[in-house]
Amino acid sequence: MSKKPADKKIIITNKIRTLRFFANEMTQLELAEKAGASRQTIMALEAYKYTPSLELAFRIADVFGVPIGEVFEYIKKEENKNA
Amino acid sequence: MSYNSKKTVVSMATGILLAVIYIIYALGDRAPAPDDVKAWAVAMLIFIGIGVTAMIVIMVLFHIAFAIGIAVKENDCDDKEVERIVKSSMVEDERDKLIERKSTHIEHTFVGMGLIAALIALACAMSIVAAVHIMLGATIGGMLIGGCQNIYYHERGV
Repeated sequence: MSKKPADKKIIITNKIRTLRFFANEMTQLELAEKAGASRQTIMALEAYKYTPSLELAFRIADVFGVPIGEVFEYIKKEENKNA
Repeated sequence: MSYNSKKTVVSMATGILLAVIYIIYALGDRAPAPDDVKAWAVAMLIFIGIGVTAMIVIMVLFHIAFAIGIAVKENDCDDKEVERIVKSSMVEDERDKLIERKSTHIEHTFVGMGLIAALIALACAMSIVAAVHIMLGATIGGMLIGGCQNIYYHERGV
């Protein structure tokens, strides 16, 4: 039987740190200002402690001039309910 | 610790201080008679007024201290850079709003439980003053629990 979408845990990762490095070592503060977020949010994103809204995700991708898929990616993890 | 966490800690500390002062007053000799509802209501209103004023003054002092703290920490930066860091720290974005919403939710739940506890107290023939104090206690407790959750989400992630 196929699993419902709710049975799959989605982990969203990002490459913000790498993209900042290639964007002439852009600081978290600069990225925060350009994306309209706080520096704490950028720190939380880089530590995978926060999943941004679609709007913020697009704004971050726009700062780096890349498609959203190059900044964020999601990994589907099957949850073992019997465990 | 982030700006938001520090702000919450200062707010909670102020709340605790005011609650302690109120408890000292309520248990002291100057407290109104246990059945004098009007006098208790006046005393509570005065304390709420003092609390709001104290919170505004302390928050102003906190923001001044926060800006000075950043200026001292970033002593190699110029004034504009320090101002930029301070402004950036104070930005309220979607994550802050989400955390605020979550902590407010638990705060409201706690206050609601306090209301029910107060009604139960009245149903058990306790005095109106006792019921009002249960609600006041629940409001302060809710504020503290909401504050703790706020700090937790800011520091550990949401």
